[in-house]
Amino acid sequence: MLELKQIGMQFQEKRVLDDISITFESGQIIGLVAPNGTGKSTLMNVIMNYLSPKQGQVIVGGALKYTSKPNEVKIHQVMSMMPDQNELYNHVSGKNHMKIYQTMWNSRPELIEDTITKLGMASYVKKKTGTYSLGMRQRLCFAMQIVSDTKIMLMDEVMNGLDPTHVEMISQILVEKKREGKTVIIASHLLENLEQYADKIYFFKNGKLHLADDLAPGFSAETVTTIRLPKVTAEETAKIAAKFPELAMQKLPNDTILIDIQQQTDEQITALVSFLVASHISDFHFGKVSLHDLYSMEYQ
Amino acid sequence: MWNFIKWEVLQFIGNKKNQAVYIILLLLSLYYAVAVAPNYEPIEKVSRDEMQAAYDTREAFLESVEGRDQLYPLVEYAKFLFPDWNKLELQRVNALDEQDLAAYASATEDWYEFSNQTIYSSGDLFYYNPLYYTYGNRFAKDDGFYGYGYTASRFQDYTEGEHKLSYELFEERTAIQTLQRLLSDFLPFVILISSVVLTADIVLKDRRNPSLVKGFPLADWKRMFGKGIVAIVGSIAALFPLGAGLVLIGLREGFGDFMLGVPIYNTAMSIFNPGPELFTRIPMWEFLLLNLAFLTLWFVALVAVIILLSITVRLEFINIAVGLAIIFAEFLYFERAVSPFTDAYWYPTSYIQVGQVISGTRDFLYASQLFTMERGMLLVAGSAAVCILIILLITTNKRFSYTK
Repeated sequence: MLELKQIGMQFQEKRVLDDISITFESGQIIGLVAPNGTGKSTLMNVIMNYLSPKQGQVIVGGALKYTSKPNEVKIHQVMSMMPDQNELYNHVSGKNHMKIYQTMWNSRPELIEDTITKLGMASYVKKKTGTYSLGMRQRLCFAMQIVSDTKIMLMDEVMNGLDPTHVEMISQILVEKKREGKTVIIASHLLENLEQYADKIYFFKNGKLHLADDLAPGFSAETVTTIRLPKVTAEETAKIAAKFPELAMQKLPNDTILIDIQQQTDEQITALVSFLVASHISDFHFGKVSLHDLYSMEYQ
Repeated sequence: MWNFIKWEVLQFIGNKKNQAVYIILLLLSLYYAVAVAPNYEPIEKVSRDEMQAAYDTREAFLESVEGRDQLYPLVEYAKFLFPDWNKLELQRVNALDEQDLAAYASATEDWYEFSNQTIYSSGDLFYYNPLYYTYGNRFAKDDGFYGYGYTASRFQDYTEGEHKLSYELFEERTAIQTLQRLLSDFLPFVILISSVVLTADIVLKDRRNPSLVKGFPLADWKRMFGKGIVAIVGSIAALFPLGAGLVLIGLREGFGDFMLGVPIYNTAMSIFNPGPELFTRIPMWEFLLLNLAFLTLWFVALVAVIILLSITVRLEFINIAVGLAIIFAEFLYFERAVSPFTDAYWYPTSYIQVGQVISGTRDFLYASQLFTMERGMLLVAGSAAVCILIILLITTNKRFSYTK
């Protein structure tokens, strides 16, 4: 379990982290979503104690805090952050990179071969990393963290530079880690992927973390909450609003209209659909607010 | 911890700058063995011609004053001395003619003892080997005194010990003797400069890869300790490329042996009391071991200083500059025979030339009894301990991060 208590961080006048208090439970994949430069990496660096917050505390396992160097070592024994692929040692092989992570965290040695197999790295893992492509380096960084086998794993832009096949490979391993009871915190721009695998998704805005479910009630629920109208004109929108003034409608920057139907009765929904058909609006879908929709709402 | 050290070793070996240092040392060593060592011209050479010339000159002098009385006192004095001197000279010449190296060693020991006592106490009547008087050397007589005493002690060892005698041995050309000579010359500078260059980036390199190493579950002081160990072992390893040159010299001139006596200047003796007791001797193996110990102590001190600078100033250039400043600092204040007017024996930097400190040459040059190996080792170890203590204090501070 990882608890953040009133974390605050400020760079000159800009308040990057604003009194963040949150608890991340074990056995969950947590997604952090935000545009670049909003504070995701800062938050991860604070969690790792690479940056000292102006206020607040990071608490690991219910009691451990960064109050001393020995405590920092204890925390880093159970919590790791994925390395940056630009910082790999070009003259050292991928396997040696993995070995040092395995030995430093004293994890099971067989994890190395296991991870190499799962990530399809066998053909190049013994070569020096200076010869690796972007995707190969990214996979290696992910593999290094996997072999560290810590209870809490922080991953910043883990899917960067990966093709869909490898995104899926990594996603499967993340799900596996979740089943093992690990807490995996991922900052990513691959929204569909996050939406598919994350148990909780937080949006970063104005230094605060907002749970997606709070921004869009029912986001995580498996029920239909929304009618999506991707191609409607302003006139048509106005007509719908006039006919159904009680409806909560939201226009996205890409002109898509989302109609919240969670509070509507079956009769009201039937009436709405009939109106849309009568108005020759045939392109509409029942579903949920997607992560893309939320991202558009919050940041565009 | 052990795993971290292994990782650092991997980094150290793969570091191109470090590889370059080892290759340069290897090339330097081979160049020395091939181009410099064969041209080594010792002052105290085995030269039958020189001995014969000296003998003939004295004989001619004795013949010229034969039967004359009422001689000038100094001439009388020379007339009194020369027969004994020439007797020893003739023994040396005859020994060489008969290829009797043991006899040559014994006569040479006696010759140097006799010559040293005679020349040093003669005022300006007699002179040491002219090569001591080159380049306006103000201390030529002292150097001659030291050189003759040193050579006498050496030849005493050849006489008393069980060594395989050779002309190369007499002229200190064998591999082990070359090493001994270089340790009292420029070799400590080369080795310590290498150590500084090898160590300069051992901490700061991690600032290029912070995300890889920052999160290691290992205390910063342990990391510094591990890096220090690697730097010290790496510095000691720099001695191996130098060994290649010694092997070449050994194949050409012979290797010498580890039981050879190395003359140690007896600082307690008065410079006005020349004699065999002016130098004691220790076996070559002990001399080399003491040098290795002292150099290792210097490695510890230099590595500690560089690590301290790396976590405070955090500039590689400063690491190298300060390291070199420590190595060459003595040139700023060194002056011969200034013992009564200097407290330089309290400066660790006065003990860089480890071979000279151990052999007592440093004491001789300062005309002092205070530049001892024991004091040097204590000062260097003390300085290292202070640096290590400060490193510990800094790295155990909870705000500290060496990769920032």
